[in-house]
Amino acid sequence: MDIFGHLWMGLQIATTPFNLLVGLAGIVLGVIVGVLPGLGGANGCAILIPLTFVMPPTAAVILLSSLYWGALYGGAITSILFNIPGEPWAVAVIFDGYPMAKKGEGGKALTASFFAHFIGGLFGAVLLTFFAPIVAEFSLRFGPPETFSVMVLTFSALVGLGGKSPMKTLVATCLGFAMAAVGIDIVSGQLRFTYGLTPLMGGFNFIVAVIGLFGLGEIFLTVEEGLKMEGVKAKLTFKDIGEVLGAVVKYWKTVVMGSIVGVWMGFKPGGATPASFMAYGFAKAGSAEKDQFGKGHIAGVFAPEAAAHGAGTSALLPMITLGIPGSPTAAVILGGLMIWGLQPGPMLFKDKPDFVWGLIASTWTGLFIGLVVVLAFAPAFAAVLRAPFAILMPIIVFVCAMGAYAVNNRMIDVWYMIIFGIIGYAFKKLEYSMAPMLLALVLGDMAEQTFRQSLIMSQGSLWIFLKPPIALPLMIAGAVIGCWPLISMVRDRMRTAKKAAAKA
Amino acid sequence: MRKADIVTAVVLLGIGILLDIDSLRLGVGWGMEGPQAGFWPMIMGVGMTIGGVIVLMGAIRRKGVSRKTDPFIPREAIKPVLQCVIPAALMVLFTEYIGLYLAAGIYLAVYMRWIGKHSWVTVLILSITIPAASYYVFDKVFLIPMPQGSLMGWLPF
Repeated sequence: MDIFGHLWMGLQIATTPFNLLVGLAGIVLGVIVGVLPGLGGANGCAILIPLTFVMPPTAAVILLSSLYWGALYGGAITSILFNIPGEPWAVAVIFDGYPMAKKGEGGKALTASFFAHFIGGLFGAVLLTFFAPIVAEFSLRFGPPETFSVMVLTFSALVGLGGKSPMKTLVATCLGFAMAAVGIDIVSGQLRFTYGLTPLMGGFNFIVAVIGLFGLGEIFLTVEEGLKMEGVKAKLTFKDIGEVLGAVVKYWKTVVMGSIVGVWMGFKPGGATPASFMAYGFAKAGSAEKDQFGKGHIAGVFAPEAAAHGAGTSALLPMITLGIPGSPTAAVILGGLMIWGLQPGPMLFKDKPDFVWGLIASTWTGLFIGLVVVLAFAPAFAAVLRAPFAILMPIIVFVCAMGAYAVNNRMIDVWYMIIFGIIGYAFKKLEYSMAPMLLALVLGDMAEQTFRQSLIMSQGSLWIFLKPPIALPLMIAGAVIGCWPLISMVRDRMRTAKKAAAKA
Repeated sequence: MRKADIVTAVVLLGIGILLDIDSLRLGVGWGMEGPQAGFWPMIMGVGMTIGGVIVLMGAIRRKGVSRKTDPFIPREAIKPVLQCVIPAALMVLFTEYIGLYLAAGIYLAVYMRWIGKHSWVTVLILSITIPAASYYVFDKVFLIPMPQGSLMGWLPF
């Protein structure tokens, strides 16, 4: 058992008092940058790199990766409590996390998120330790047609089952895709839908849209209902932890599914955010309590969070094995590796086993330390919610503005945020579903690219999307889930017709 | 509610038609590098146009939310909602000229005092420390510059 020997060695390195302390500091800092919108693991790692020059490389990478683990944990806190995601991959959790907090189950939602992160991370860590080559090979078999099929499946999971008016859902989804297409088309280099307006050339960023649609839109709705945040009291008790553990056992399939989706998507650059949406869609599609999703179902918190952490963890794998970073933060850590004079790639395992295995072991220790840290932090964050509304509200707007600006350092984004806030308010009242629209905005570019690449591969034939063995079953599943409302409607009618026939 | 539903549907339908027109300009056929730039957006534009027409018809025939007779914004809620939207928009406008931190400080102070009726001590402490702390974290520690404003070039921040 070569791997266990290596892991044992790594654990011995990662658990020396100095490295543990470094890891703890990294995680605390990571939680803080994760909570603040506009600041993320990548910024956090970037400012710490100069500090790492005075450390041994192993301690340095533990510091940076721990910060990354902390940021993964921390991103969901503001999503759940304020409807404002602290990190892109914490967007999908607002669909059910915030309604839970509104129902007065904020503490439970936070705990659920943390445990889901823990389990997702555990899957990632197991993979990183034992199955790296197999998974890497499997994910390489996913070409553009297969990736596009997965996206179709995700969409049908989210669209086919939700929304009161299917046509409004269709319009909102197309609007999301259209917004993703605004700006320069990277294939042909043409400007699309800019109508000669310079501000439109940069396109729309989905983070700005989320902050507006959900964060500000929610505030406007709250104001309309009277000047208070109703029921958003988040106390964290040991009872919550017990209940959440019970729910983990009950929904173990959802948690495992989320983790697997995350781990697999994490290989692709920028995979954590789509992974969290996909996991949410699949959880909803596969659940027996579909109508509870979006209203504060705990499985709607488990799935995206497990996926986010799974993806974040597996993003490190292509970085150390191939030198390809799977996420922006992994890219900064990769930069650090180069500065410390280490060349990522297969040789790193041979040349510097203590470094590689120290890093891998730190994903294990980081998971446990991270869970303890966020559980300890949570009551402090929850206490913020007890502040009076007239104090909390303007602060939230200010933080939203900073977050929107920091995405691209563009003032126009802050204006977009306000406009999206008003759109979000109107859409919510008129029952347009915003989740599919957001997903379209997030996946828009990727979906269009894979679609076009596939058609180029097949020279225009749509049959490429029905190619066995991977794309075909995915597409069939997508079609069935997408048409499910129709199928169940027909079935119900046939049943009533049968009953009527039996009576007659 | 019905009026708002109709207006929104018309706006979305309009966006759909705009998309269709621009997609046609970009080309929806098969070009040098596979499907042309307008191909994918065209699908979305057509989807929006068809969906928009159906939603509009539904709204005119009083289906879904249009069945409700209550106004889009309840009369008594108009004031608080505007009190929330306008200061936020003003803060963004001021940010263009005096920078985010100063604008935010004024915004926090005005809102807390005017709407929240909190004591001057609370208002002053919060509206000074919060932007100052954010300035320290974002501009100083993480080197993420926030908008400075066109009139404030002479200040060190």
